This record gives sequence, C-alpha cells and structure tokens, in this order.
Amino acid sequence: MKLIDIFTLLIGISTVLTSSIVAFHPNILYAAISLTFTLISVAGFYVVLGADFLAAVQLIIYVGGIIVVILFAIMMSENIYRARFLDQARKYLAPIVFSTAIFWVLFKLISKTQFSLVADPVRVPISESVGVALTTLYALPFEYIALFLLVGLVGAVIVARPDYKEIHYKDEGSSK
Amino acid sequence: MSGLANNLSFYLVVSAIMFVFGIVAALSRKNTIGIFMGVELILNAAALNFVAVKLLQTKAAASPTQDGAIFSLFIIVMAAIEAAVALAIVLRVFGVKRSIDPDGMARLRG
Repeated sequence: MKLIDIFTLLIGISTVLTSSIVAFHPNILYAAISLTFTLISVAGFYVVLGADFLAAVQLIIYVGGIIVVILFAIMMSENIYRARFLDQARKYLAPIVFSTAIFWVLFKLISKTQFSLVADPVRVPISESVGVALTTLYALPFEYIALFLLVGLVGAVIVARPDYKEIHYKDEGSSK
Repeated sequence: MSGLANNLSFYLVVSAIMFVFGIVAALSRKNTIGIFMGVELILNAAALNFVAVKLLQTKAAASPTQDGAIFSLFIIVMAAIEAAVALAIVLRVFGVKRSIDPDGMARLRG
C-alpha cells in the first residue's frame, strides 16, 4: 500500500465513525461537533481525489459557515444540556430497518458492477478548468444559482424577523 | 489492481454508509436541527459520489471535463441556502412555540 492508500483508508474510517455519531449520539451538541469532523473528512476525500478547489470550498462553506449556523441554532433554541432527543429503541427501529434495506441494495449494486477504471488516474489541480467551465458551458446555471442564493437569503431574513405589523405600528406611534 | 485511493467502489461504499446514517438521523431525531444535520449528511454523500466518478475518466481525454466537481459545487451552494432558510424557520418557530420539536409544528394541520 502506498501512502495515499493509507490516508484514504483513515479518512474513510473517520467518515464512517463520525457520521455514526451524528446519527446516534443523544446530545445534539456532540452530534453537531461530530458533523464538523465528517465534513472535514469529506474535504480530505476531495483532496485524495484531486479536487483541490472543492476541498477548499467544502472547508470554507461547510466547516466555516454551515456548522457555525447549526451551532448558533442549537445555542439559540434550547438549553444545550436539555437538548436531548427521546432515545427509545422503538423510535430507531423503523428507520434502521428502512435504511439497512437501502444500504443492502446499494451495496449489491456497487459490488456487482464492473467499473472500467483507469490504472493511474490523473490528479491535476482543477481550479482552472472549473473556472473556465463556470464562465463558458455552465454560465447560465452559475447565474441561476447566484440568483437562487440571493432569493433564499432574502427569504430567510423575511422569515426570521419579527412580525412586521408590529414594527409598522411602532413606527407610526413614534412618528406621532 | 490499483490501490485503494483509485478504487471507485471504496468511495461509493463510504458514501452509501454516510447516506444511510443521514437517513437514520433525519427519520429518528426528535429535534429539528438533528433532522437538518441528517439532510446535510445525505447532501454530502451525493456530492462525494459526483466527485468520485471522476476516477472513471480516461487519461486519453485531452481536456478533462469537470462536470462532477461543478455539480458538487452547486450542491454545496444549495446546502448553504438550505442552512440559512432552516435557521430562519427554527428561530421563527422557537419564537412562537418556545420549542423546536418537529411533532409540535402542527398549527397548519387542517
């Protein structure tokens, strides 16, 4: 085994372990911190696969942004030491049966398929070709997702702010 | 036989495990944020698959396409939008009901 293979194996083990903690840990705060390590492991997979730009994006947006948002939501919403979910075995039964069935089908599919892999795939930096593709072939989807992001963020602000009738009345009262 | 780092099946199995844990989290958590974290796991598994199938690309291709990487990029942007909207909904529901139990969000039920 080469060094990159050992690295890949370690990343795979850490991905599986931390995502199992996300699914099963009773305390939501520990699950969120474990999700951070899952996302970092996925960034490691991107590095192994030669997708350097995506690894950077994953670290910046997921680990820097989404995890902070999740932790903020946990801190805002409830007392974190009270934020446990009811861990009865009955509640786990149906999801585990359902997802084991899905995993069995996926595993059968993956193990039966003969992939025509190249012996030594190229691992060149992808930043340049991603940039070129985003401004030529994928220019319209790129603009669309930018618009989508804008609409989503404005909608989030409108949903999160307090009832705007109250603000309106308060403004009228102060102006008189 | 190439090594583990070039073995597509390894990436697909790891991403299938992530996907399955995401489904378990999304279905069994008694907390809106827990459900949201399960959805994040599912999205990450999909994005990892999109990048991993790059291993099927032949060396002969003069200019390798980056379709998988761009799809993963769009998935990451989607996840960011989803996080913002989910946090907004959680804050709003908590302000109204003082709880983020998903079973309690039944005011719109007819």
